[in-house]
Amino acid sequence: MHSVVQIENLTKEFKGRKAVENVSFSVEPGEIIAILGPNGAGKSTTMLMMLGLLKPTSGEVKLFQGDPVSRAVHERIGVMLQQVSLMDALKVKELLALFQSYYPNPLSMEKLVELTGMTSDELNKRTEKLSGGQKRRVGFALALAGDPDLLFFDEPTVGMDSTARKQFWLTVKELAAQGKTILFSTHYLQEADDIASRIILFNQGKVIADGSPLELKQSLLRQSISFKMNETTKKEILMSLQDVLDVLEDKGRFTVMTENPDHVLRKLFELDMKLEDVAIEKGRLEDAFEHLTVEQEVS
Amino acid sequence: MSMLLRECKVEVIRIFRNPYFIFWSLLMPIVFYVIFTKVVNQGMENQAEWNAYFLMSIAAFSVMGSSIMTLGIRMVQEKSEGWTILLRVTPLPASYYFIAKMVGQSAVHIFSICIIFLSGFLINGVTMPIGEWILCGGWILLGSAPFLAMGLLVGTMKKVDTASGVSNIFYLLLAITGGLWMPMEILPKLVQTIGMWLPAFHYGNGAWSIVRGDFPEVKNVLILVMYLLLFMVISVYSRRKQEVV
Ligand SMILES: Nc1ncnc2c1ncn2[C@@H]1O[C@H](COP(=O)(O)OP(=O)(O)OP(=O)(O)O)[C@@H](O)[C@H]1O
Ligand SMILES: [Mg+2]
Repeated sequence: MHSVVQIENLTKEFKGRKAVENVSFSVEPGEIIAILGPNGAGKSTTMLMMLGLLKPTSGEVKLFQGDPVSRAVHERIGVMLQQVSLMDALKVKELLALFQSYYPNPLSMEKLVELTGMTSDELNKRTEKLSGGQKRRVGFALALAGDPDLLFFDEPTVGMDSTARKQFWLTVKELAAQGKTILFSTHYLQEADDIASRIILFNQGKVIADGSPLELKQSLLRQSISFKMNETTKKEILMSLQDVLDVLEDKGRFTVMTENPDHVLRKLFELDMKLEDVAIEKGRLEDAFEHLTVEQEVS
Repeated sequence: MSMLLRECKVEVIRIFRNPYFIFWSLLMPIVFYVIFTKVVNQGMENQAEWNAYFLMSIAAFSVMGSSIMTLGIRMVQEKSEGWTILLRVTPLPASYYFIAKMVGQSAVHIFSICIIFLSGFLINGVTMPIGEWILCGGWILLGSAPFLAMGLLVGTMKKVDTASGVSNIFYLLLAITGGLWMPMEILPKLVQTIGMWLPAFHYGNGAWSIVRGDFPEVKNVLILVMYLLLFMVISVYSRRKQEVV
C-alpha cells in the first residue's frame, strides 16, 4: 500500500529560529496519528506545512504521493485548523451546503448532522452567533463535508465541553473504522493514548518518539519493580542484571528501574532471591511524556 | 461553473445581510441626494438638469464606495480571521474566490443603482428616455471595475483597521477630487488639475455625458481601463509576494 502522507526532512525557520527541525515520517492508510507535544513544540507548523499552507524552509511533503496543493489532493482531505473561523452572515446549514458543493462526492447533510451531533437549532443559526464550542463543531462538519480519505485536526477538542468531546472522539473512531486516515494534534496525553494507533511525540521542533502508544510506553517508560529483601549486599548483583537501569534502596526496600520488568523478574526468581511484597509499577504515558521532555532538554 | 455561480450567490446573500452595506451604500447616498437637491441647491434655473446630473454623481459615489470598501475590508476580515486559509485547502480554485467577490459585489450594485435611480425619480421626478437610464446604469456598473480592483488591493492589507482607515481616506479624496460631491468647476484649480488624472472624475463624467445626451468620452474609458490594469497588476503582485511564506 502507498503512504498517504510522506514527509522528509521537514524544517521551518522563523527569522533564523527553527520551529520545526528535520522531521520525517510517513503515514499509512487507516492510521490514526496523534501529534503530541507541549505548547510551541511545532505541531501546528508541521501540520500547516503538510497542508501546503506554509512553505517549508527545506524538506518535502507529499500527500497521496502528490503535491499537497493540488486540487486532486484537496478533494480527498478534510481540515480543521487550530483557529476555527467561519464565514459570517450565513446560517450554518448554508455554509455546510456551500462546502458540500466544493467536493465531487460530499457527505449528505443528514450524515453530517449525525456525525457531528449538531442540533437543528444550531443549523439554523448564523455562524457569528455560535459559541466557541459550537463553532468547533461546525468546523468539524466542514472538515467532513467532502467525505475525505484523510483528515487533519489541529487541537480539535480545545473549547469543547466533555459531551462534545466524547461525541467528537466517537465520530473519529467511527471514521477510522471506515478506513479513513486521521492526523490530530493534541497536548492532552490521555487523548493520544485513548484514540491514536500511533503517537508522534514532538518537542522543541523535533520528533523525539514515534510508535504505538504501547510501544512508546514500553520503550520510553522506565517501569519499576519494588520489593523487600532481607539479605544485605545484594545491590551490586541487582545492578549487574541485564536490563536493569538503576537500583534504589530505601529502608530495606529495593526499587529496580527497568524497561523490561518481565525479564528482570524472571531473572530474580531464577537467582532464587527471597523477595517479599513485590510490586510492579507501570508508568502511564503522561510520565513518559514528562520524562522524555526533560531528558531531551538536559542532553 | 455551478461552483462559481453558487459562490457568487452566497456573496450576494452575505452582502445583503450586512446592515452596514445598506446604510453606507443606499441610505447615506440617498440622504445626500435629498440634501443637495432639496435643501442646499434649491431653486436653480436648471434644477431638472442638476437633479439628474447629481443623481448620477451620487449613484457613482455609492457604487465606488462599496467597490473599494465593502469588497476590500471584507476580504481583509476573512483573511485575518483565517477563513480564506481554510478555503485554500478546499478544492475551490483560488481565483473563484476573487471572481465571486467581484461578481457578487457587482450584482449587488445593480440593485443599488436601481434603488438610487428610483429614488431620484420619486424624490425629484427625474426622467430620461429608458435607453439613457440603462446606459447610465450600465456605465456605472462597468465603470466600477477599477474601483473593484482597488478593493482587491485594499484586500491585500493585513489589518482590518488599516484597511478601513486607508480605504476611507482614498474613497473620500477620490469622491471630492472627482466632482462627485460638488461639480468639478467650483473646485480650486489645482484640485481640478489633479482630479483630471484620477479615476473618479472620469467615472462620473461618463454618466454625466449620457445624461446630457452624449456618450462617454474615449478619454474616460481609457483612464478607467488604465487604472483597472494598474490596480490589478499591483494587487496580483502583492498577493504573490504574500503567499511565499
Ligand atoms: N508565524 C510565525 N512566526 C514566527 N514564529 C512562529 C510562527 N508560527 C509559529 N512560530 C513559532 O514556532 C514554534 C512552534 O509553533 P507551533 O505553533 O507549531 O507550536 P504548537 O506545537 O502548535 O503549539 P501549541 O500547542 O501551542 O499550538 C513556536 O516557538 C512559535 O513561537
Ligand atoms: Mg498549535
